[in-house]
Amino acid sequence: MRKGLNLKMIIYIILAVMLAISLFPFLVTLITSLKDVSEVYTSPPTWIPVKPTFKNYREVFERYPMARYFLNSFIIAIGATLLNAAFSIPAAYATARLRFRGKKFFMYLLLMVQMFSPIIIIIALFRQMSIFGLLNSYLGLILVNAVFTLTFSIWMLSAYFLNVPFELEEAAMIDGCNRFQAIVKILIPLAMPGLTATMIYTFINAWNEFVFALTFTTTPEMRPLTVGLYSFVGRWSIQWQYITTASILGIVPIVLLFMLVEKQLMSGLMGGAIKG
Amino acid sequence: MYEMRTGIARQRFNKKESTIAYVLLFPAIAFLIVFMFYPVVNVIVMSFFKVDMLGRFKAFIGIGNYQLLFGNVKFWEILIRTVVWTVVGVLVKTVVGMIYALLLNVKFKGRKIARTLLIIPWAAPVPISAILFQWVYNYDFGLLNHTLKLIGISNPPLWLAYTKTAFIAALYVDIWIGIPFMAVVFLAGLQAIPDELYDAGAIDGAGVFNKFRYITIPLIRPVLIVATLLSALWTFNDFSVIWILTRGGPIDTTDILITWIYKNYFVYYKPAIAAAAGTVTFVILLVFSLLYARFYFKEE
Repeated sequence: MRKGLNLKMIIYIILAVMLAISLFPFLVTLITSLKDVSEVYTSPPTWIPVKPTFKNYREVFERYPMARYFLNSFIIAIGATLLNAAFSIPAAYATARLRFRGKKFFMYLLLMVQMFSPIIIIIALFRQMSIFGLLNSYLGLILVNAVFTLTFSIWMLSAYFLNVPFELEEAAMIDGCNRFQAIVKILIPLAMPGLTATMIYTFINAWNEFVFALTFTTTPEMRPLTVGLYSFVGRWSIQWQYITTASILGIVPIVLLFMLVEKQLMSGLMGGAIKG
Repeated sequence: MYEMRTGIARQRFNKKESTIAYVLLFPAIAFLIVFMFYPVVNVIVMSFFKVDMLGRFKAFIGIGNYQLLFGNVKFWEILIRTVVWTVVGVLVKTVVGMIYALLLNVKFKGRKIARTLLIIPWAAPVPISAILFQWVYNYDFGLLNHTLKLIGISNPPLWLAYTKTAFIAALYVDIWIGIPFMAVVFLAGLQAIPDELYDAGAIDGAGVFNKFRYITIPLIRPVLIVATLLSALWTFNDFSVIWILTRGGPIDTTDILITWIYKNYFVYYKPAIAAAAGTVTFVILLVFSLLYARFYFKEE
C-alpha cells in the first residue's frame, strides 16, 4: 500500500514537471496578454501581472486589422472545408461501396499523396496561380487548402462509410429509393459523426495553414491570421502584448475543436495499427 | 478486405457499378491531378531545364542543375542538417512520448486532465506557437531566460542569434509540437495490451524492465513503426517552425532542405536549383511513403 502511494506521488511529480515545461509558452502568452505595455517591456520580466488588464483584447482590434485576419481565416477555412466535402464524399462513397478496377491502387495513391511536401507543390503552383490570377484571392487559398486535405478526408470518410452496414441502403433501394436518395437519407445521417469530425479536421488544417498563405498572398488585406501575425514579427517595434492577445484568441477555439475530433483523427492516421 | 466489407456478393467489376465509381471519383482525381501531380511533374521537368528567374523554361540542359546542386557544399551541409534534424527530432519525440504514455497508463486521479493538457501543443496552430516562441526566447524580456537565471544559469544565450543555439531552439519547438501525438498514440497502444500478459510475466519473475522489453515493445511494435514513420515525414517537412523562428538564418545555417528550397525559389531567385533540390526531396519522401504504405496495409 505504501509503495503504491509513493509510486503515484512520483508519477504526479514527473508529470507535473513535464506538463509545466510543455505548457510554459502558453502560460507566458496568457500572462503577457494580460499585462500593460509598460510591464511587458520590463527587465527582469514579472510572472504575475502587477495590474492585470483586458485592454489589450480591445486594443488589438482597434490598432490592427485583426478582425479582417480572423474573417479571412474563417472564409478560407470554411470554403476549403465545403469544397473538400463536395469532392471527398463522392470519392469516399465509391471506395467504400462500389467495386471497380484499380481500387487498391487508388487507395495506395491516396496514402502516398498525403506525403507530398507542400513546398515542392508551391514552387510549381506559384506561376500557375499568378497566371490564373489566383494570387491574393480567397479562391486560390480555398483551392490549395481543399486539395491538401482531400486525400486524408477521402481516407477517413471511406472508413466511416464502411462502418455503416450496407444492408440499410440496400433495403432503402429495394423500397424504391434510388442510389442518391439512399446516400442522402441513410448513409450520410448514419455517418454524420465521422463526417463532422472529418470536416472539423479540414477546417482546423486550413485555419492553421501557413506556407500557402505566406506565398500566395502579398497584400495585407488578404492575409489569414497565421500570416497576419507573422507579418508583425520581425518589425523593429513588435508589440508583444498584442501578438500574445491575438494568439490566445486564435488558439483557444482551435484547441477546443481539436479536442472534439482528436480520437477520430488518431484512428484515421494510424489505420489498422490502432484499434480506436 | 474491402470485398468482404462492402456487403453482398456480386460479379466481379459489374460494368454499371464501375462507371458510377469512376464518375464519383472523377472530381477528386481531376483536382489532385491539377493541384498535386501536375506541379510535381512540372518541378521534376524543370530540374532538367535552364530556367529564368521567374521559372520560365529556356533550354534543356540535362543534369546540369544537379551537377550545380551536388557540387555545392552547402547542399550537403543542409542535407546532413536535415538528417540530424529529422533523426534527433523523431528520436526525442519517441522517447519522451513513450515516457508520457507509460506514466499515463497508470491509473490515477486526474489522468484525463493530464491527457488533455498534454495534447494542447499538438492542438494549437503551429505557426502561432512558433511566433510565440520568439517571445519565449526573447533575450531581455522573455520569461525563459528569466527562469534560467532563477535556477542558476547566469548567462543564458541570445537564443535565435547564433547558429548552434538557433538550431537547438528551433528543433526544440518542433519536438515540443510533435511529442503529444507520439504520447497519445503510444498510450492507445499500451492500453490495448491485456493486463493478463503482465500478470503472466510477473509470475514468471520478470522485472519492470524485462516486462517492458519482452511484452510491451513487441506488442506495440506496429504502432511504433507507423507513428515514427509519420513523425519522420512531418519533422522532415516542418517548414513553418524554422521559417518563423530563424528564416533559416543566420546565413542559411539553420536551414533544412525544405526551407532552403523555398528560399532558393522565392528569395535567391534560383528556381532551377530549387527544382533540382525539390526533386531530390521528392525521391526521399517517396521512399518514406512507400515504406509507410507498406506497413499501413500490412498492419491492416
